[in-house]
Amino acid sequence: MISIQIRKKHLFYVLAVSSSLIAAVVTGIDSWITHLLVETYSFEKVPWLFGFSAFLVGTVVTLLLCLLFSIPFKGRSIGGRLIDPSFNHLRLVQREELKYHLLAGLGNAVTTVGYFYLLSVMVDPSAVLPFYQVVILYLLMVEVVAEKNSPTLVEVQSSVIVTFGAILGSISLSGNIDLTAMAVIFLVVNPGWVILSIYQRRLKLLKIKDKPNDSLNIRFWNLVFTFIFITVFILVFDQVRGTSYFMESLDASRRFFWWIALSMSVTFFSYVFYIRALGIGKASITQAVKATTIIFAVPVTFVLTLFMPISMPSTPVLWLIKGMGMILVVLGIVSFAVTQVKAYVFIRAQPGVKVSSLLEEVWNIRGVDSVSAVSGKYDLVAKVRIRTLLKGYERIIRKLETIPGIKEFRWNSILKEWENV
Amino acid sequence: MIKAYILIRARVGKLENILKEARKLKNVESLAVVAGDYDIIIKAKVKELEDLMSLTDEIQMIDGIKQTTTQVVEKEITV
Repeated sequence: MISIQIRKKHLFYVLAVSSSLIAAVVTGIDSWITHLLVETYSFEKVPWLFGFSAFLVGTVVTLLLCLLFSIPFKGRSIGGRLIDPSFNHLRLVQREELKYHLLAGLGNAVTTVGYFYLLSVMVDPSAVLPFYQVVILYLLMVEVVAEKNSPTLVEVQSSVIVTFGAILGSISLSGNIDLTAMAVIFLVVNPGWVILSIYQRRLKLLKIKDKPNDSLNIRFWNLVFTFIFITVFILVFDQVRGTSYFMESLDASRRFFWWIALSMSVTFFSYVFYIRALGIGKASITQAVKATTIIFAVPVTFVLTLFMPISMPSTPVLWLIKGMGMILVVLGIVSFAVTQVKAYVFIRAQPGVKVSSLLEEVWNIRGVDSVSAVSGKYDLVAKVRIRTLLKGYERIIRKLETIPGIKEFRWNSILKEWENV
Repeated sequence: MIKAYILIRARVGKLENILKEARKLKNVESLAVVAGDYDIIIKAKVKELEDLMSLTDEIQMIDGIKQTTTQVVEKEITV
């Protein structure tokens, strides 16, 4: 059995950065496909045709990949060995997953139609991708409302730094901002991506038959549900506008099958790594690390200039702005990475107190990642994760001291940690 | 599956050696160096209690271990 011990923090960054590198390559391929589609079909049809074709071909390709990764090898599936240790084989959607898959599919369908619209109006991918990064701010706001862990000052500061860096990076190549594209990004693409990220994270954190959910099944079923939504969108659009995009999309899927299959095969790995990273870190932080895509987009754009009419920055000032943007993105991510405090808290209960109710009370404290009722010297073991030690006092210790059933507790700060992955 | 926390106190100067040996152990879900009452906390995941005993035996055999305390998980809530 392959077993690698790695620091969990490192695994998270490896997964998120790999996902962003692959995403930059995918955007390059997608730009090329869009270029081919624009030559064949009229400009306004391209987002719809590409959106539908991507999910039709993508579902087929992902099904084949998942079946391939389901093949057992020495007692474990190939996918479980190579990609996600939680993966065993392709399976049907479970009842508890259905609600999340429907919402994630809807989010993906909305964000994808917007994404292809952007690619069709802006041929330069490094001018398109950075606008995605503003989604971190949306995620932070959602997490304040919905998640157990509200953002700290460091998280807000780092997110703003990453966002500004990404925006600076975005205006460097073309030198101007398209207002329509900005509206699509802020009102369509980013909200769709937020819904997708939040519900993919919920899916990854679900336990299926007492085992952690796996990223390959999540990706496959997300594609299936997205495909259903895209099909409904396109059929409604055809009915309302009297167009025949559905039939033309089938034609585009056939004509450009291999290019789209290549794009969706590479996308598969980007998403699987992203979903795994989502299972480890908060959605906003995963998204922040994924902002490194803008750095990877530069070499991809250089390669594309060999085949497509893309203009590169002509003045040192534009390069300087882009460079500053990238530095800010990296600084923001490093700031996320280095400011995290984790600790184990060992708790003894007062005699006569129900440990199960104490368990719930400790679990309700913000910053508590896990809590276990244990037998032995202590009654509870809590693992906490906060941004600063001060937050550890304000958010955890002060709360623990107000719980009447606690006799005593011991704080053990984690200095370094390895996880079996 | 049975989960347990194994809390370890180490002799001064032996921490690096213990970590090196502990990272080779099977059935270890996570391994953390901590500052506080203990020096190392191992979270173990085993099929049976007998496997947990074997694991704690292996840990006891590592040079530099002063004391181990095992806390078996009865219920766990996690994000």
